[in-house]
Amino acid sequence: MFKLTHAASIIYRFRSFRTRILVFFLGLLVLVQASTFFAVNTANIENARRVLDDALVVTTSVFKRQIDERSRQLQLAARLLSGDFAFKEAYATREHATALSALDNHRARIGADVMMLVSMDGTVIVDTLHPQAAGKPSPNPRLLEKAERSQYGETTGVVFLDEQPFQMVVVPLLIPFPDAWVCVGFRIDDAFAKVLQQDTHSHVSLLRADTGKGWAVLASTLPAQARERLPNALTEQPWREGETGTFDLASEAYISLVAPLSDAETQRVVVVLQRSLEEALAPYLRLRVVLGALFAFGVLLSVIGAVLIARMVTRPVLKLAAGARRIEQGDYLQTVDIDQRDEIGELARAFSSMGKGLAERDRVRSLLGKVVSPAIAEELLSKEIKLGGEEREVSILFSDLRNFTNLCENRSPQEILALLNRYLTQMSAVVEDHGGVIDKYVGDSVMALFGAPLHHGDDAARATSTALGMHAALKDLNEDFFNRGWPRLEIGVGINTARVVAGNMGSLTRMNYTVIGDGVNLASRLEQLSKRYGVPIVISETTQVAAAGFVYRELDRVCVKGKTEAVNIYQPLGRPDDLAPAVREELARYHEALSMYRARDWKGARARLQALHTAAPDCRLYLLYLDRAKTFQREPPPLDWDGSFIFDEK
Amino acid sequence: MGTAARSRLVVARALAVVILTMLTAGLPIAAAASLKVLVRNDAGESVADAVVQALPRGGGSGAASQPTEVVIDQKDKEFVPYVTTVRVGTRVKFPNSDNIRHHVYSFSPAKTFAIPLYKGLPSEPIVFDKPGIVALGCNIHDWMSAYVFVSETPHFAMTGQDGWTSVKNLPAGRYVVEVWHPRLKGTPQPATHEVTLGRDENAELAFVIEQKRVFRAPRMSSTTSGGYR
Repeated sequence: MFKLTHAASIIYRFRSFRTRILVFFLGLLVLVQASTFFAVNTANIENARRVLDDALVVTTSVFKRQIDERSRQLQLAARLLSGDFAFKEAYATREHATALSALDNHRARIGADVMMLVSMDGTVIVDTLHPQAAGKPSPNPRLLEKAERSQYGETTGVVFLDEQPFQMVVVPLLIPFPDAWVCVGFRIDDAFAKVLQQDTHSHVSLLRADTGKGWAVLASTLPAQARERLPNALTEQPWREGETGTFDLASEAYISLVAPLSDAETQRVVVVLQRSLEEALAPYLRLRVVLGALFAFGVLLSVIGAVLIARMVTRPVLKLAAGARRIEQGDYLQTVDIDQRDEIGELARAFSSMGKGLAERDRVRSLLGKVVSPAIAEELLSKEIKLGGEEREVSILFSDLRNFTNLCENRSPQEILALLNRYLTQMSAVVEDHGGVIDKYVGDSVMALFGAPLHHGDDAARATSTALGMHAALKDLNEDFFNRGWPRLEIGVGINTARVVAGNMGSLTRMNYTVIGDGVNLASRLEQLSKRYGVPIVISETTQVAAAGFVYRELDRVCVKGKTEAVNIYQPLGRPDDLAPAVREELARYHEALSMYRARDWKGARARLQALHTAAPDCRLYLLYLDRAKTFQREPPPLDWDGSFIFDEK
Repeated sequence: MGTAARSRLVVARALAVVILTMLTAGLPIAAAASLKVLVRNDAGESVADAVVQALPRGGGSGAASQPTEVVIDQKDKEFVPYVTTVRVGTRVKFPNSDNIRHHVYSFSPAKTFAIPLYKGLPSEPIVFDKPGIVALGCNIHDWMSAYVFVSETPHFAMTGQDGWTSVKNLPAGRYVVEVWHPRLKGTPQPATHEVTLGRDENAELAFVIEQKRVFRAPRMSSTTSGGYR
């Protein structure tokens, strides 16, 4: 069960690159090797069979030649024997015993198995095998007939004596005319077959067919089991004389060729030349084993190779993927360590460079964001860097420390810097919280933009909120400063909303994203005015109009230097909900006084202002107007006076 | 007409002649019947070297005759002549006219003898003292062969190339005419025929004999290759 699930999981993981490579290479190898194996195997077997077939055909000719040679030799020997004068003399004695002994002597000379003298009319005269057979009809009448028909009275054939086969030759005994037949015979037995086997390198079997009774083995070189099966094989398995075929004997296959040996009518004798297919195939089977071993070895190597190669790819790839994920999470600095000289290593090196590049860019970006402000940095980075800008409505906020020079007195520069940085950090936070952008710091001053580079729609209100927020934050900061032994800070803020040009100012190699225009200068002047009026925040009329939702105190109508037109300036007091009713009431009384002042009602204005002053003696504004009213009461302004005040200084 | 019928016809005529001759002549010595014989084989060809022997019916070997000497030569490694007919008791000389030796032998029951390797003329001739057929051979030349027909009676003759021969000086009487040829089927049994001859009868007989093939060793020469045969 475990194996099944394991296998299933492996197959499921076919998606993995390593498994795919493995399966592919392995599959390819198995396919190639298997097809090679089968092709070679089939070709080998076929080849072996063909070679065997050819060999057997040749063997048959060799065999026939062998038999013929033996017959010829027999014939020669018989001829010589029959020509021996002493033998003729012994024969002429007509003495059976003499003739028999002489015959036997001659038989022994050539090592024949049988020698007979048969009269011309077919009666046995002497027979070395059967000494008592004199006078009986010879056992080879057909052979003698054949001899008679031949040219020289000589012939050869297979003869059965006592059911045993003999290769027999017949020659006439000429004295000088044929007086008897000399028959010399060699037994056809296993020894004979063995000699033939040695010459032909095949198994030799001689079989006799008795009509109706099947086959009987006369001699054979086959092993016992196969020899037993051979007669049945001839009866049961199909074969054709002179053609090669396969016999299955005792579960061994033999390529066989059956050839006739004698032309006797009743007793048909055939020779079966056989070669064991297995023996012939033995070298091919060895080759098959070798091939099989090579195949297994190849598979093993393939597996190892595929695994190694896959690993050389998948491992680095996985490392790179992990690295990419780290980069995604912001960790640029950890490098991917793949020490390979190939394409994967190239990729790893490029990846590390990329990481470093990203880290660098990140640093630069954040640095840029720190130097300019994230919003400006973003704006700069997003657009093509070029000088110039676009006209926008921007609320510009200037803030300044009132008593900076005093602060610097008797303090080390380090301390001043620390102090300043704390203050600036706080103020910047307020600006950024309200969606504003710090344009620049000029010493203790802060210049902030609302509406550039990003436009929110309520930028003037944001600027006003920022100014109020700055003052609120200052309170907390001052507490902290007090605890540190640092002096209390006081700031003045000026805001103006106008159409200005926002963009890159400077040179291409050193530029500054800022705003340029009249409105900028006014904002700066307004900030300076804040000290005059003793108010923390001075905003222009445009800002007041744009920033709704605040309670404003009209401060004055002024003509700043360089301008011909007079503008109203205001002080935002806060959101309506934040102001106490007493404050609102005081504001109303002030506005009343201001109207009287503007209406030239000096007395009335003075009276109101006096009351206000008595209630809030620290408010410089009231004093200012009291002074002005007093002056104007003495020396009234011109008739076309619009209530504005002209500032002589900047 | 069959042979038997024909010979009967001839015989009948001969008989008449013989009887007439006997009646008129009266002298036995002057009675000299002759027998003309034609021998042919069953293919119709005339048979030469056929030995015709007239044996008296009642037996007897006929008149004795002086033993004669006959010569059988050996020329160019062959016996000359091939068939020789002799009366029993004839002395046969075997001169060797070749410049090489020959070893003449016979294993025939009628005369078994051998003249080992010799040149020229052997000192003693061979006496053929038994009737029968004697086959001669040379031990060192397988093909050399000849026959000697030893006849009991003086009445024998041999056919010539035309197949005819005649036996002369036959006393009247009944005879068994035997024809023998080396290639006669059934040899050594001759083909026989009975005939009765009258005095001074000139009978004619025709024999048709069956012949068989007889193989001899082929004559070898230095140019003959051994090889396969």
